[in-house]
Amino acid sequence: MNPFPIAWASLRRNRFTAILFIAIVALTVALGIAISAQERALRLGSARAADKFDLIVAAPGSHNDVLFSTVYLDPSAVPLLDPAITRLLLEDDQAEFVAPIGFGDAIGDAPVVGTTAAFVEHLSGGLAEGRVFTALNEAVVGALSPHAIGDQLEVSHGHGGATGTDADAAADAIAAGAAVPGGDGDHPTITITGRMQPTGTPWDRAVVVPIEYNWSAHGLGTGHRPGDSHIGPPFDPDSLPGLPAVVVKPVDVAAAYGLRGAYRTPQSTAFFPAEVLVELYALLGDATAIMSALTLAAQALVVAAILAGIVAILDLQRQQFAVLRALGASRGFVFATVWVYVAALIVTGAIAGLLLGWGFAAIVSELLANQTGVAMRAEIGSSEFRLVGALVALGLLLASLPAVLIYRRPVVDGLR
Amino acid sequence: MPGLSLAASGLRLAFAGEGIIDLPELTLAPGTLTALAGPSGSGKSTLLYLLSGLLRPDAGSVTWAGQDLARLGESQRDRWRRRHAGFIFQNFHLIEELSPLDNVLVPVWFDHVSAKAARPRAIALLDQLEVPQRRAHVALLSRGEQQRVAIARALIGDPAVIFADEPTASLDATSGQTVIAVLRDLALGQGRTVLVATHDAALRAQAGTTVLLEHGRTRHSEATA
Repeated sequence: MNPFPIAWASLRRNRFTAILFIAIVALTVALGIAISAQERALRLGSARAADKFDLIVAAPGSHNDVLFSTVYLDPSAVPLLDPAITRLLLEDDQAEFVAPIGFGDAIGDAPVVGTTAAFVEHLSGGLAEGRVFTALNEAVVGALSPHAIGDQLEVSHGHGGATGTDADAAADAIAAGAAVPGGDGDHPTITITGRMQPTGTPWDRAVVVPIEYNWSAHGLGTGHRPGDSHIGPPFDPDSLPGLPAVVVKPVDVAAAYGLRGAYRTPQSTAFFPAEVLVELYALLGDATAIMSALTLAAQALVVAAILAGIVAILDLQRQQFAVLRALGASRGFVFATVWVYVAALIVTGAIAGLLLGWGFAAIVSELLANQTGVAMRAEIGSSEFRLVGALVALGLLLASLPAVLIYRRPVVDGLR
Repeated sequence: MPGLSLAASGLRLAFAGEGIIDLPELTLAPGTLTALAGPSGSGKSTLLYLLSGLLRPDAGSVTWAGQDLARLGESQRDRWRRRHAGFIFQNFHLIEELSPLDNVLVPVWFDHVSAKAARPRAIALLDQLEVPQRRAHVALLSRGEQQRVAIARALIGDPAVIFADEPTASLDATSGQTVIAVLRDLALGQGRTVLVATHDAALRAQAGTTVLLEHGRTRHSEATA
């Protein structure tokens, strides 16, 4: 028994409708695939981006805000960490290194971030070219920065109009009767001395300056005694200003948990980026689960609508099936022919949808990566195959319905 | 393949409470061409469907060479048609997207026969019936050629019985004459049992017997050739 040539002939006869049905199935599947693959790409990309930020210590407040401003360089208003806490951290032997992080300036659209050379080495895993900064007015750029070694750049205060960190710092300064950060500070021209390797984080687009530049530019000193022009640790405990965040690399896992516990005080908070991301992923996961369920329901409705259309089309071919029966074809053969016809539409649509969905997700990933700086790559994984498999299984099961309807039709009615 | 003999008796089929076929007796011998004639609605096609097992009578028997189709289930009647019968229709009912050769092979696809093994016979039948095989689609053939493809399709299984429903009604006179000659050869030359529902006087003239139906009953049966 070979139902394929007749099913193929039916597909060719109704080729425009068949293409339309395949396109509808493909688009519906693609939507589900794109959501699923993109959501995973977002999780993986954001998790990878936070890998090098072992432990973050900041002033008490929103972990999310600190994480987003420190790792993803998303400007937001965060309170400043008490310098006394930074002093303790700098002296803590459980920390391999302590990297102050400062924000608040920009060159064009690129954020200017202040930190230490040690953190640059840690984040980048060695520079791609040039050398790390050794003077206050030197900088390294991220791998995707358009600036070249030797470029001299003007730094402007603020970041894309959002100056929350500085606004807080300014408020603190006014309250203390001190110089307004950013208002009174000087922003000397910087010279690019090196380029970092790709990190898959928004730091790839950033200009990284010594933390001393950041403090100095906002009128907060340099973290060293007056006259001391060296860059990086050790800092003068009495000259340290407040900081939005400090990234700590613990000496080992036990130290990581020890530091996390020790710096959860009324004056500070300490957290692993992963724990914040897990909470975000849980929320994202719930939303994704709902969207996936809705997508699957939409897919089922589309398949049902297509099956209704197929029944109408096959009804127009009832004479052909009646003729086959008159020639001696069994009901089983007619059933198989119709089932193969419907299955071909659904399977072709699902495969096309898988590829299309992967394409959609890849495009969205690229757009998001460009927008956020977080490297992400959408890939088709087992969950997407399961999603398509579920739809195909449902489709193949539902394909029996038109097959049964045609199968049950009296032969003579079709011949008249 | 030699034809089969038919002995149908007491055949009744009611539709919506109204008797439409009421045939006390009908016998056919192998090697005969029999015409079922009568006005439209007289029950010619319905009788053809009854005698081929497409319909099961409410009463009576349709016995082909000792096998009563009225007592067989649907799948057994399907199998009987596959093994013993060929069908020719007024409008050919070919699958337009397929080549002439593939149309002839259609019955092979639902039988337990290798299409590869049946292919030489299909080609031979098309040659015999002078159908050009090189046309990619059967729709490109003339109507007379299409009906000859349909005849080849009916013959691919080498059936003992041929049922034809108005086989010349859609054809011009010349093509009709060719089909009549083929049907006559199948019966008288090859010994098959050929039963044709027709309005065509030329075809009736070539049939050995004409059974004239009126309102589902036999008005009379006459030897015509």
